[in-house]
Amino acid sequence: MATPEKKRWQFGSGDMEKLLSEVASHKGESLWQDAWRRLKKNRAAFWSMIFLILFGATAYFAPILPLASPIALSLRTEAAPPSWPWEAPPATSEETPHGAAITSSFGSIMDNGWRHRTVASFSAKSDSGGGIPDEVGVALTELVESTSGRTAVLDRRAPIGAGAPTGLYLGVPYNTEDRPRTDWEPTGVHGKATILRTKSTQAWILFDAPIDETEFIAWRVELHGIEGHLVLEDGAGALVRYSFPLSEAFDGKVLGITFNGRRLEASGRVDSPTAADGIAAAPHELPEISLKAFFGDIAGQLLDASAATGSVRVMSETDKKTELLFERAEVRTIEEEGLVHDDLGKRLERGLLALDLPSGVNVTLVETTSENGYWELGSFDMLLLNARAKMFGLWQTGNWLGTDSKGRDILARIIWGSRTSILVALVATLCSLLIGVTYGAFSGLMGGRIDNLMMRIVDILYSLPFIFVVIFLITIMNEYRTELADLGIGRDTAFYVVIGAIYWLTMARVVRGQVLSLKNSEFIEAARVIGASTPRILFNHLVPNVLSIVIIYLTLTIPAVMLFEAFLSFLGLGIEPPKVSWGTLAVDGTEAVNPVKIYWWLVVFPAMAMGSTLLALNVLGDGLRDALDPKMRGKD
Amino acid sequence: MLQFLARRLLWFAITMFCVVTLSFFMMRAVRGGPFSNERSLDPAIERNLQAKYHLDWSLPRQYFQYVGPFNLDEHRASIFGGDGTDTFGGVLTLEFGPSFKYKDFTVDQIIGQSLPISSLLGIVAMMWALSLGISAGVASALRRGSGLDLTLRLAATGGIALPNFVIAAFLIILFVFLIPLFPVAGWGSVRHMLLPGFALGAPFAAYIARLTRTGMLEVLSQDHIRTAHAKGLAPRTVILRHALKGGLLPVVSYLGPATAGILTGSLVIEKIFYIPGLGSHFINSALNRDYTLAMGVTILFTILVYSLNTLVDLAYTLLDPRIDLDSI
Repeated sequence: MATPEKKRWQFGSGDMEKLLSEVASHKGESLWQDAWRRLKKNRAAFWSMIFLILFGATAYFAPILPLASPIALSLRTEAAPPSWPWEAPPATSEETPHGAAITSSFGSIMDNGWRHRTVASFSAKSDSGGGIPDEVGVALTELVESTSGRTAVLDRRAPIGAGAPTGLYLGVPYNTEDRPRTDWEPTGVHGKATILRTKSTQAWILFDAPIDETEFIAWRVELHGIEGHLVLEDGAGALVRYSFPLSEAFDGKVLGITFNGRRLEASGRVDSPTAADGIAAAPHELPEISLKAFFGDIAGQLLDASAATGSVRVMSETDKKTELLFERAEVRTIEEEGLVHDDLGKRLERGLLALDLPSGVNVTLVETTSENGYWELGSFDMLLLNARAKMFGLWQTGNWLGTDSKGRDILARIIWGSRTSILVALVATLCSLLIGVTYGAFSGLMGGRIDNLMMRIVDILYSLPFIFVVIFLITIMNEYRTELADLGIGRDTAFYVVIGAIYWLTMARVVRGQVLSLKNSEFIEAARVIGASTPRILFNHLVPNVLSIVIIYLTLTIPAVMLFEAFLSFLGLGIEPPKVSWGTLAVDGTEAVNPVKIYWWLVVFPAMAMGSTLLALNVLGDGLRDALDPKMRGKD
Repeated sequence: MLQFLARRLLWFAITMFCVVTLSFFMMRAVRGGPFSNERSLDPAIERNLQAKYHLDWSLPRQYFQYVGPFNLDEHRASIFGGDGTDTFGGVLTLEFGPSFKYKDFTVDQIIGQSLPISSLLGIVAMMWALSLGISAGVASALRRGSGLDLTLRLAATGGIALPNFVIAAFLIILFVFLIPLFPVAGWGSVRHMLLPGFALGAPFAAYIARLTRTGMLEVLSQDHIRTAHAKGLAPRTVILRHALKGGLLPVVSYLGPATAGILTGSLVIEKIFYIPGLGSHFINSALNRDYTLAMGVTILFTILVYSLNTLVDLAYTLLDPRIDLDSI
């Protein structure tokens, strides 16, 4: 048998080039490519990721979905079970769709759902079974205005069934400067004037036709007879700023000062002046004494009796000065809002007793809502809301997942709640990331005594019962709410930071351990021997290796933070109404558990949303841990 | 061992000092005192109240009075009915002073009443968590890849993902209203303890099941288990005597955080099931500015967490001879 000829391999002349070109053309897999490949193979983790992306997108673009408003109340006293229709727009504005209280036009999508806060809901029932006379609404409006210190807007809802009470909602506008938009045809000019915005002493009016001062005065005299300063703001008469003296407010019609719902007619002003009268009755002639009484009135209602005395030396001053002082008074009342509305319900009830209502009409106060904090929508959300109105018109989902005991749609609340919860989780996790990585990396890189000391501090913090620290911090934060608001820090922001400040400990430990072990590892030494610069070592070798462990930890922190938010909300320390989060939803569900009737949809649906998201996050976290684990690299 | 304990004690002292000092001064730095909610209190009455609780003293003096061990109050008799002015008092003698809101009670009395209830609830929850978690973990490790394993793992992930008050709501709907097995709320008999204990322990059971599964899988693939099988030992003996000991190590190290978590979780569970434990006291006292009660509860919890962690570390060495205590 012939043995195969053995040929000795020798390093030939062409071999070096071949090897080099092989090295050059070899495409290795980076850590990330490898991880991504393995993550795709892990089916559970991959689908979890898809689910989370879809869910996050739904939550982020929630305003564009034709959902009911998550905060609009209805007069239901009982939670409605899930039902599956779409809700068509009501035929007339008086008609109420079944279930959650909604919308008769796009304006009222915004107004009912977002821009107006319902301050008080009354339920009115006539003994004779007939309609409720208008004067009841007027009387209630006045009551709410004088109690809350805001211009109130009345919204009537027709009874849901025969013999059911009529709902009367009184809302105050989104913020003090906003009054409902009023359009009308003035007689003095041709074209249309729109009041854009009114303030206590100023109005911004948009004319769609060019206007000059004489025309404007004519128009003004025709309609209101209010003396004031005219500033053409936007060239030749497109936008007019119209400021008028202290004694006036501009509310579509002459009401005197509607501030606080008190009218100034009592002080001797001409009530509805004709054209000539208005100017002749120069408002500056208001007697000082009545103004004092007026301010005293505001003060008595909104502040303590002592608070407004400083503001009443204005009559002889110029308009500008007057304006300033008036605004000061306004600012102070807003500051004191908490005080006013703490007992808003009680005062409304008392006022209702004293109210002179037509006989045969029974009015009861159903609910008052706290005045602190509107749900502010950013401009992006407003854009989405507009798009929604264009796309879906007034169509919206019925109560697919039922309503809670206040008639708010559960589906909408879950989606909007996930928005809040996801935001809290992301921001708080980022906070913890920022603190933890900086602290841990610094400690690990410094090493030695500094490292030791820094880690001892972490140890001490670890042994504190941190939930108590959080509760304590949030109590403090509530106490300094106004100061924080002055600094531009909302309660929410502070809330995120507090949670983030708690969760950084583990992150710091993990990062420090990783940095410490990497710092002395062979491949870093090898890189140094090759002659890599410090930034290159830092960013090309250290950062990617630390990053993987940071990402793993992040995906596990996010669900933990979400749970923690729910926990805090349960204790009443978390997100505050009217905002919703999963925590508040879970609390609502838990509170609705009672032996008489089981409102299962209040417990099951929020729990399902929360459970599935957290489950997906956990699965994704585990998958990422497997995928990014360097030990597993190259294996399948 | 002794060195370890001594070092732990030293750190304990430092931690306690930080907790007491920080919480004392922070609490008093915040605006609004314990009596600021009571509107229009007569100035004289307010002065008397403040004098009674030493709020009119300078802060350092208040602090030393609070920490002890010497009593700085010359009129001690007026509060406690005692007579000595130089008796010991303060936190160092475990005397937390009178509560500001529950005016007839001292903090020690309140803690004495509610701590046994809370700890009983915690023990029940821990028992649930350990028994369910370990058995589920062992079962799914032994039947790896089977339907049982999948179901148990899914249940475990669900248990981790849901907050305990949602679990509690489900449990109440199921086992109180639909199938009336348990009373809805209250405290006293064993039947009262089972449901809240389970709700409290469920997330921890889930986590323990996970840890047990991982630990067991690792141990089961090791040589000494194969040797045990080869010797002809019964499978039950192999698992109970040989595998479980190593497989439970991660669980043991988790017991410290788990206990802290159960303490925290009991705040919520006590609220749902109307259990008169410590949880409600903590939250209410923080909100009410009941300085002494809030601090008493905080200190108590810190002591509990710290000593339990130390115990866990000790137990760790008993299970794993490779670990040297003095190196921790």
